[in-house]
Amino acid sequence: MTILRFLQEVDRRFLYALLILAVTIPFFLPLNLPNVPSPPTIALFNEIENLPPNAFVLLGVDWSAGTRGENLPQTEMLIRHLMKRKLRFALIDFADPQGKLLGEEIAQRLQGEYGVQEGVNWVNMGYRTSDMINVLKAFEQNVISAVPTDVNNRPLASLAVMQGIHTAHDISMVIDVTPSTTYQAFIQFLGGPYHIPMAAAMTAVMVPEAYNYFDSRQLVGMIPGLQGAAEYQRLFEEKYGKIPGTTSTQQFSNSLSFAHLLMILLIILGNVAMILERRHKARMGGPA
Amino acid sequence: MTGFSPWLAAHLTVLTLWFGALCTLGLYSVLYKENRIFRLFEHIFLGLATGFMVSNTWTDVLLPKWWVPMWDKGRWWFIFALSAGLLYYFIYSKKYNWMARLIIGFFLGVASGQTFQGFVNDTWPQIPATFKPLVAHPAIPAAAGHPAVRAVTWPDAINAWIFLIVLVCVMSYFFFSFEQKHPVLRNSAQLGRWLMMFAFGAIFGATMMARLALLIDRMFYLTHDFATVLPAPIGGPVVGPYFMFGVIVLLVGLIVYLAVRSGPAEEETGSEEL
Repeated sequence: MTILRFLQEVDRRFLYALLILAVTIPFFLPLNLPNVPSPPTIALFNEIENLPPNAFVLLGVDWSAGTRGENLPQTEMLIRHLMKRKLRFALIDFADPQGKLLGEEIAQRLQGEYGVQEGVNWVNMGYRTSDMINVLKAFEQNVISAVPTDVNNRPLASLAVMQGIHTAHDISMVIDVTPSTTYQAFIQFLGGPYHIPMAAAMTAVMVPEAYNYFDSRQLVGMIPGLQGAAEYQRLFEEKYGKIPGTTSTQQFSNSLSFAHLLMILLIILGNVAMILERRHKARMGGPA
Repeated sequence: MTGFSPWLAAHLTVLTLWFGALCTLGLYSVLYKENRIFRLFEHIFLGLATGFMVSNTWTDVLLPKWWVPMWDKGRWWFIFALSAGLLYYFIYSKKYNWMARLIIGFFLGVASGQTFQGFVNDTWPQIPATFKPLVAHPAIPAAAGHPAVRAVTWPDAINAWIFLIVLVCVMSYFFFSFEQKHPVLRNSAQLGRWLMMFAFGAIFGATMMARLALLIDRMFYLTHDFATVLPAPIGGPVVGPYFMFGVIVLLVGLIVYLAVRSGPAEEETGSEEL
C-alpha cells in the first residue's frame, strides 16, 4: 500500500528532478531517434522550394527570448532555407522588440555560410510596435511608405533587396514565426485579402487550433513547435546535405522524446497505482 | 557601451553568458520553493523587458514616424497626435474624464471595424473548406465550364467522413436554443462533448510539449553555450558540457536531498496570484 500511495502523492520536486535529468542526458547520447516529417512541415518546405528565383518573402519574427526554445530553431531553419535558395526576405517584428534582434542575430550569423548579404538578399525592417493591422493594410498601397527605413535607419527604397517591391502584391510569400496570434492578423489582413501564400511556425501549444487554417489552405504550411523544426531540418538536410557544425535541433528532439516517455510513464504509474489501491480498498470492504 | 570600457568590450560575450546562466539557475530555483533569489531575477527580467519595449517604441516608431517628421521636416500638424494621445490621461480627472472617452471611443470604433473585417477574412474561407468529397473518385480532367478535379482516394473519403461526423456532433452540442430531447440530437451532442474532450487533451499535450521545449533550451544553454566560456580545465567545448552536466546532476541531487529532509512540498493553490 505504501508504494501505491507514494506513486499518487509523489513530491513534485522529485518529478522536476527526474524531468531535468530526462531532458539533459540525451544531449550526451549518440541518438538518432526516428523523426518523420509531418504533412504541414513537408507542405511548407515544398512551398519554399517551389518559389521562383529571387522571390520576396516577408518573415515575421514575432517572438522573444521567452519562447527561444521553440522559435529559435524554427527561425534558423527557415532563414537557412531562404538563404540557401537565394530568395530575398525581409524580417519584420510586430509583437515584441526582442524579435528584431533575435532574428537579425540569426541572419547575421548564417549569411556568411550561404554567401548572401544584408541589404542585397535580406533586410531587417525592425520593430513596428503593436500597430500591426494598419501597417499590413498599408502594404496594399505602398510597402516602402509603410516601413520607410530598416532597423539601422537606412531608407528601404535605397536597398537592392527591395527593388521591385512596391505593394503587397509583390510579396511572394509570408511566414510568421510566433508564439501568439500574430499569424492570424497576417492571414486576415495580408495573406487572405491579397491571396499571398501564408505559412506559420508556431509554438506547440498553438498547433491544434492552427490546423483549421492549414485545412482551409489559409496556411499553406506550418512548422509545429520544436518537433517541427527538427522535421524541417531533416527535410533540409535530405535535400541540401548535412548542416555543418551543431545539430542542436536533433538533440532537442531527442530530449523532447525522452521527456515525453517519462511523462507517459509517470501518468501510467500514477493511474495504475490509483486503480490498484481502489481495488484493494474494495476487497477490504472500505469505500472505493 | 563598448566604448565605455575596452575591458567590457573584450569580455561582453563572456559576461552575457555568465549573466544568462545565473539568471537561468536563479529562476529555476523556484522549482524547489518560492525564494528571494527567484524574485530578484524575476523582477530583473520584467524590468529589462519593459524598459526595452519602451525604449524601442521610441527609437523604432515614435522617433522616425512622429518626432523626426514633426521636428526636422516641418510637419507641425503632427503635434495634434500628441494632444490626442494625451486625452487618455483625463481618465484621472473626475471633472474632465469625458474627454478621455472621446479618444477611447474613437479607437474602440477603429478596433471594432478592424475586428469585423478580420473575422470575415478569418472565418469565411473556413466554411467552404468544410465541403469535402465524401466518395472516392478518379481525377476529372478540366472541361468547358468547369476546372479539373483531383482524384479522391478512399482514405481521403474516410477522413472526410470523420471530419463531417466530428463537425456535426460538436456543432449539435452547441444547440442551446431548444431542449435536446430527441435521442439523435442528445446522443450526437454527447458524442460531440467527448470529441471536444479529445481536442482539449491534444491541446494540453501540446502545451506540455511547448513548456518542455523551453526547459530543453535552458538546459542546452547551460550545458553547451555557457559551458564553452568556463575557464580551463573545467570549460571549453569538449570538457565544459560534461562539467556542467555534473553541476546539474549535483543540483538535482541537492533538490532531492532537501526535499526528503524538509518533508512534503507546500501545495500551490494560486490564490496568492488572485
